[in-house]
Amino acid sequence: MGRSFSTSSVGLRRREALLLGGAALLSARFAAAAQPSAKPAGQVIVGLSQEPTVFNPLMPAIEVDQGVWWSLFNPLWGVDPQGNFTPQLAREVPSIENGGVSKDGLVWKLRLREGVTWHDGTPFTAEDVKFTLDLINTPGFRAGSRQGHNLLRDVTVTGPHEITWRMERAYSPYVSLLAWVFIVPKHLLGTADDPNTAPFNNAPVGTGPFRWSERVPGDHITLVANERYFGEGPRLERVVFKYIPDLTALYTQFRTGQIDHASIDGILANFYDEAKSLKGRVISVNPSIGLESIAPNHGFPILGEKAVRQALYAGMNKQAIIDVIYYGLPKPAESFLPPEAWAFDAGLPAHRHDPVQANEILDKAGWLRGSRGIRERDGKPLEFALSTTSGNPLREQVQQLLMQDWQQIGVSMTINNKPAAVMWGDFWVKSQFQAALVGSTFMTGNDPDCSYRFNSAAIPAKGGSGSNTYQYVNPEVDRLLQQGQTSFDKAERKAIYQKVQQAVRDDLAILPIYRPSPVEGFKEGLMGYQPNVNVRSNCWNIETWYWAKA
Amino acid sequence: MSVGGMSAPLSDAATPRRGFGGPALRRFYRHHLALIGGTIILLMVLACAIVPGVLPYTDTFIDIRHRFAPPFTGGHLLGTDQLGRDMLARLLMAGRISLAVGFLAMALSMVIGIVVGLVAGYYGGVIGALFMRFVDAVLCFPTIFLLLAVSALIRPDVTFIILLIACTAWMEVARIVEAQIRALRERDFAVAAEALGASDMRIMLRELLPNAVAPIVVSATLNVAHAILAEAYISFLGYGIQPPTPSWGNMLDNAQSYLSSAPWLAILPGGMIALAVTSFNFLGDGFRDALDPRTDIK
Amino acid sequence: MIGLLLRRGLQALGLLLLVSMIGFAILHLAPGGPLSQFAAGGDMTPADLARIEHQLGLDRALPIQYAEWLRLMLTGDWGRSYRDHQPVLAIIGSHLGATVELMLTSLILAVLLGCWIGVVSAVRRHSWFDTIATVGSMVALSIPTFWFGFIVIYIFSVTLEWLPAGNRYTIGDGSFADHLHHLIAPALVLALVSTASWSRYMRSSMLDVINQDYIRTARSKGLPESRILYRHIVRNALLPMITIAGLQLPTLLGGALVTETVFTWPGMGRLFLDSIGYRDYPTVMGVLMFTATLVLLGSLLADIFYGVADPRIRLN
Repeated sequence: MGRSFSTSSVGLRRREALLLGGAALLSARFAAAAQPSAKPAGQVIVGLSQEPTVFNPLMPAIEVDQGVWWSLFNPLWGVDPQGNFTPQLAREVPSIENGGVSKDGLVWKLRLREGVTWHDGTPFTAEDVKFTLDLINTPGFRAGSRQGHNLLRDVTVTGPHEITWRMERAYSPYVSLLAWVFIVPKHLLGTADDPNTAPFNNAPVGTGPFRWSERVPGDHITLVANERYFGEGPRLERVVFKYIPDLTALYTQFRTGQIDHASIDGILANFYDEAKSLKGRVISVNPSIGLESIAPNHGFPILGEKAVRQALYAGMNKQAIIDVIYYGLPKPAESFLPPEAWAFDAGLPAHRHDPVQANEILDKAGWLRGSRGIRERDGKPLEFALSTTSGNPLREQVQQLLMQDWQQIGVSMTINNKPAAVMWGDFWVKSQFQAALVGSTFMTGNDPDCSYRFNSAAIPAKGGSGSNTYQYVNPEVDRLLQQGQTSFDKAERKAIYQKVQQAVRDDLAILPIYRPSPVEGFKEGLMGYQPNVNVRSNCWNIETWYWAKA
Repeated sequence: MSVGGMSAPLSDAATPRRGFGGPALRRFYRHHLALIGGTIILLMVLACAIVPGVLPYTDTFIDIRHRFAPPFTGGHLLGTDQLGRDMLARLLMAGRISLAVGFLAMALSMVIGIVVGLVAGYYGGVIGALFMRFVDAVLCFPTIFLLLAVSALIRPDVTFIILLIACTAWMEVARIVEAQIRALRERDFAVAAEALGASDMRIMLRELLPNAVAPIVVSATLNVAHAILAEAYISFLGYGIQPPTPSWGNMLDNAQSYLSSAPWLAILPGGMIALAVTSFNFLGDGFRDALDPRTDIK
Repeated sequence: MIGLLLRRGLQALGLLLLVSMIGFAILHLAPGGPLSQFAAGGDMTPADLARIEHQLGLDRALPIQYAEWLRLMLTGDWGRSYRDHQPVLAIIGSHLGATVELMLTSLILAVLLGCWIGVVSAVRRHSWFDTIATVGSMVALSIPTFWFGFIVIYIFSVTLEWLPAGNRYTIGDGSFADHLHHLIAPALVLALVSTASWSRYMRSSMLDVINQDYIRTARSKGLPESRILYRHIVRNALLPMITIAGLQLPTLLGGALVTETVFTWPGMGRLFLDSIGYRDYPTVMGVLMFTATLVLLGSLLADIFYGVADPRIRLN
């Protein structure tokens, strides 16, 4: 239906390797019963609620595009569900230990896999990698984020399958960032007049397990097996990415069997109970790296006040939101990092719904009940507007619950929702909102670096470069984040990021609500599906999927 | 020129009708439906105005322990919605909003349409041509494209939705009034008034406009129907009135995902919209025959 | 005739210019922009966003952007989509087939069904059939199309499982029967409103003709009633319908947009909705201009056909 962005459009979702319910058992049973056939066979139709439209993997895109990229292209290395880097086009993942990264973190050296060919038969070489990294920084090219890449200097090919570069300063999250950079062919894009409009962008050629076949705009994309793929698989003959613009329709078509796999936004929480009872369907509840939270604008005086944020947090009935609106699927959260992250701090104080305490905090801060039961101070009422993407029914229900919760502590909250293109425009980026209900991620790739969210130099409204649209300022956090970026020592970094988590939780820089549990589903007999919290699409390993023989 | 075809001609006005048999009989028959339509509207307005005050629940009272109660259970006559709010209270409060949107958008579109039509028809010439070409240009967009394009741009609250709907519904009226005024302008009584030194304003408002009342009333009634439907379409396409304020349109907004588990969430507001719009259409049709026995407005 | 065509053609061009200005202004003055979707993710910095905005030329003054758009448009370059970087005309082309398929089918359905209902209603005026048809068409015109679509999906796809819940064809099948199977529900839903208005038009047109002198003459000559009905009444009553077909185009287009949304039909309506949502300016402008042209063409053709079919018009 007319929702242009996915219902939880904010934030990238990566998933963890955890199949809940019967899914894991079922998979195990089928795995024992069936062996993948040697020759690619069968097709899988993946249902997506947003249309993949960007096939040049270096251009700005959304997560559905990434699902397609994993089939067509390869990064230098990927990330498995446990967070380990797995070499793909590179022979090994560079680190200080193996000499790939110099001690000061400034010089990187890579050795690449040999014998890999592009879908058109041209051999893959170090020139392609150099071309890819350079293209990201080419002025006229509409690259996605240059974050991290702008530190690259002197990318040099030192052999057909060897490459080296310098970094302007030590930047440890770069290895995580590169896990999301797909390598593009120089011989096709390098010769185009304008890489922004090259024919390649609508007929991509990669090194991945599937080759481009056709695209019916507004409807679907068909990929076919690349039988010369250097890695494991592919076992499927064909993969179809089908665009179904509405989540209800997506679920209906999953239920009627028109699609084999409901991906990304998959199945809305309100269908979960019914979906579980469907015959021949496996439902997978996937924990996520994202966090649903209330983002207060610290530049808005009322919400810039810590006591108010504390009262709002204590007055919020988190469990009701989780149980009622999301059918108990998500997990309450305190940290901005997911429990799967290696720097996660499990010791943060737990939230308790306590309206009495909330009332005390506000009384003490001088906010006293006025007429109509709304608190006031110096003649100003304690009220603010909570915004989110309009046309997201579940979030709208959350807002209405919060409205009632906070009314009980004398806070007046109004709803001011906007269409996605407005919500995430200047309104969000330039911090014009008062408070926002958003789902976001706080990591860089699978690295815990969250400078772009919490560093005071990352406030766009104050000319900073980053996504600290909350305008959160804490000098101690700034210092810690700076330290974390330059260190390559995991233990040291872990301590640093735990302190950051404690500070952010104590300040209530954001009011964490829950960690979403996206529900995906697939037909019984489809093997190989493995949710991965470290990538944006669970089609990341689609080359190993296959149909169990009945 | 319509949202999903809703302002397709509801009666025969588009083609000239001349003296078919038994006009009185036909008119009576029309009035019969119009009478029903009028009664339903009256009842609806009264119900929306009075009943919410005497219900045990308000439309915003959330009771999450009693979500999805089917109609006729647990003291909820029409059941509850996904947050446990009383459906009857919400339907009636939504009715207030939807009917208000209908009437106010109609009133506003009438004012715009009449002013543009009057000026264009009375002065003619360059101004008239300019005005009417603008009308033509706006009519080139299917209404829904316009509604969508504009609703994506503005704050989705009641005032703006009314403005928006009015801005996409005045063109028909302008055309009708312009044609009518242009024809009447050269008639004796207008020329006489002008000769007597009456001001333009006076001629327009006192002499010409009253003669165009019949088609305006008809158009106004149909415009209420149009506006109620338009509100529903805007909500459906994701740009509707903000919660927690209920309207029939935004109550339908997410109802389709509960079609199998709680069908009343979709059926009740949809039914109310259909009932209200049909009633206004019947009424408009009846007015057409009753107010203008010649029925030919060209 | 030629003169009239020329004048109407020029008028249409002027209108299109006006349409493009209104459309462009509304679109670009709206808050938000094509980059919001990337800003939402948070992994692109404001510097990244500003750079892309500059690369797309969106940081220039609005009149300059419009002039540039118009200049390219006049050379036949409709621009490229911000989403998939394809030429807008190619994108419209790839979505057009689906919409035409849906609209033509429901138009044919609506004309056949609507005319039949109209004829029977007119011939048996005030009968039960007429009353039901009148009330029925009123109700049909009053139901939100999308709501009707949901009910159809719920009954025929979800409960009875007779019809697919959406899509244009089964991927990998694509046979004629498969296409037809997918077409039934959306075509019926889209046809509902048109059928209702067609039956109303036809009925009144019939009544017009029935009371004409020559019909009375034919009756008095003792011609068989069926011959009068088909040779004289229906034929003449169909004439004004030609005009209506042209003028119904915007209605049908609007309806198609909603129907495509409900039935996940990959046509122009979906394209338009998605493009608006993403603020894909070139595509939205392209679709707007395309539909405006169609609408103008429709009313022009209606005029011409009417002139050709009815000699009395030509005399005027």
